[in-house]
Amino acid sequence: MATTRPSRTHSIPTDTILRLTNCLVPVDNCLVSGTLLINSTTGLIISPQDVFYDSKLQPSSTIDLRGKVVVPGFIDVQINGAYGFDFSNASKSDDEYASGLKEVNRQFVSTGVTSYCPTITSQKDEVYHKVLPHLGPSLRSPTLGSSSLGAHVEGPFLNPERNGIHPPHILQKPSEGLKSLETVYGQENLYSNVKVITLAPELLPPSSLPSLPAVLASKNIILSAGHSTATFSQLVNSNISMVTHLFNAMHQPHQREPGIPGAVLAEVSVSKPRFFGIIADGVHVHPANIKWAYHSNPSGLCLVTDAMSLLGLPDGEYVWGNGESIQKTGGVLTLKGTTKIAGSCVTLLECLNNFMRFTNTGIAEAIKTVTKTPARMLGLEGVKGCLEPGADADLCVLEVNGDGSVGVEEVWKFGVRVWEKSGMRRRREGVMELSRL
Amino acid sequence: MYYRINEFRPTKDRPFVLGLPTGSSPEQIYANIVDMYRSGKVSFKNVVTFNMDEYVGIPTSHPQSYHSFMFKHLFQHVDIPPNQIHLPSLENYGEYDNMIAKHGGIELFLCGVGSDGHIAFNEPGSSLASKTRVKTLTNDTIVANARFFNGDINAVPKSAVTVGVKTVLDAREVILIADGRAKAEAVRQAVEGSISHVWTVTALQMHPKFIMAVDEAATEELRVKTVKYFKDIEGTPARIGKLGPKL
Repeated sequence: MATTRPSRTHSIPTDTILRLTNCLVPVDNCLVSGTLLINSTTGLIISPQDVFYDSKLQPSSTIDLRGKVVVPGFIDVQINGAYGFDFSNASKSDDEYASGLKEVNRQFVSTGVTSYCPTITSQKDEVYHKVLPHLGPSLRSPTLGSSSLGAHVEGPFLNPERNGIHPPHILQKPSEGLKSLETVYGQENLYSNVKVITLAPELLPPSSLPSLPAVLASKNIILSAGHSTATFSQLVNSNISMVTHLFNAMHQPHQREPGIPGAVLAEVSVSKPRFFGIIADGVHVHPANIKWAYHSNPSGLCLVTDAMSLLGLPDGEYVWGNGESIQKTGGVLTLKGTTKIAGSCVTLLECLNNFMRFTNTGIAEAIKTVTKTPARMLGLEGVKGCLEPGADADLCVLEVNGDGSVGVEEVWKFGVRVWEKSGMRRRREGVMELSRL
Repeated sequence: MYYRINEFRPTKDRPFVLGLPTGSSPEQIYANIVDMYRSGKVSFKNVVTFNMDEYVGIPTSHPQSYHSFMFKHLFQHVDIPPNQIHLPSLENYGEYDNMIAKHGGIELFLCGVGSDGHIAFNEPGSSLASKTRVKTLTNDTIVANARFFNGDINAVPKSAVTVGVKTVLDAREVILIADGRAKAEAVRQAVEGSISHVWTVTALQMHPKFIMAVDEAATEELRVKTVKYFKDIEGTPARIGKLGPKL
């Protein structure tokens, strides 16, 4: 599966080149003042050196950002829906689904998330066949808003002992390894539209476990362990380098069996990086766990929202795709009649602010957990999540508040400003309350 | 150098023409120049620059290209207009010496020196009457430069465009910077050796206005007598360890 790249990467004199000056950009763990050059025609960040030496390339305008912080656009690798649209809901017609998705992408970009992996919870086979064709990598156009990097299929190969709110009767066992995956998702879908697969590695037949991650990696698909009872050694020996929502739906670290957390936090090296998603809404995972997870493996932590389509909707009872009900009470989502947490409805920006508070990190350091790290995890280093020349010019302009928290002021997609706070479409304040719980 | 530029009082019609090197020795010089620019002591508005050399076979945007080096260490920090900057290339090398002449010749050429005595990429054996041209790099230079290419000898370009020895000699003033023990033999040849195309740096002995700036380590192959002589004529105690006026 190829991500959408521009047809050319070099700039030509007829391109629209913008110079963003007087901005603070994160370099290592500090904010430094700098200038950013972007090519709005190719949608790429370009090198000041190329523009300097090539007299034919002249910035058509200079935008003074008056000391604002400019960071790469955020990436959320686990989000189930937003603005009332559930990526897993196959009850709509294809046209309805497509237009609903289009609208979500347009609104969603205002949260600062410029790229994401639309996530499908455990479903019957026919649901995958119906929705996955819509969820592959988005076309390369700033007018489309936030773009999909390919779907994240969370299930149905999950361990029934750690199903969370995934209905147990829907779960399956991947008895035939790769073939099971091809059957359930559809071969075409798997290789064209899927980017991340969450499964419980202990369910795989022992013969396919060691080779499956590499086979999928060759197709640019990331295998992530989650909803799993895998032990420390099972995960270490599995060649799986990603873990889905760390601490949730897995064995917790035990003094003699550190489990999946032990593997992803301790068994890390430069040649073998390990990544993990973590929900920093303050409910799913205790702040102290987020803190030590980050300090153990700082370059592996990807903040995810695991947000549901209820994000932004009023409190009450909502019917989920499989006919079960979810109770939304403020920012807490539970399976009706139980205390089981059923996803979140927090924004990635709020997770980022929580994370900075929990770990006492500054924005220049913390921003990596929603930009560089998820991009590396997805194999998109240098393309997304950074400000290096050659990367996509997906940007957020941030305001820094007195308490150190940040807010999104402007969002740029492929070198074009697609949203600004003072414009017609204001930031939705109501969706950011969860962390106070 | 800033003293020379200011003394010249360059104008738009009468710019100061500067020849520039790359390499580890000049890096610190550029840092000092940038500091002077920032404190308002020098401007590059009316300075025209000609670089000595550039690799052939890597794009100018390559991090090890001399375009990248100059942008990183000097050009991006100062007020020099891009159209007053020149680097030799496969396209322009035939015209390079003419371009220099059209600007009135080089007022001041800053130079580094290789441990084998090369100036620019005029490797041992280069004609001392040479002008700007394409040169094949010697194995020694390729090995020495591999450290800039992740230690991969095969990644180092095999040729370069370089000004000739004569191009450097034609400048009205030449300042050569040599630091570290690795340059000591080249310094000995330049100061005590005979003129020879094996040590192309020795051609500078023929230059009417040639200054060497060296550190203590780079003098280690010189005779004590030579060092003492130059220290003596330098005079002021503040300059001990430097042969030549302060840059």
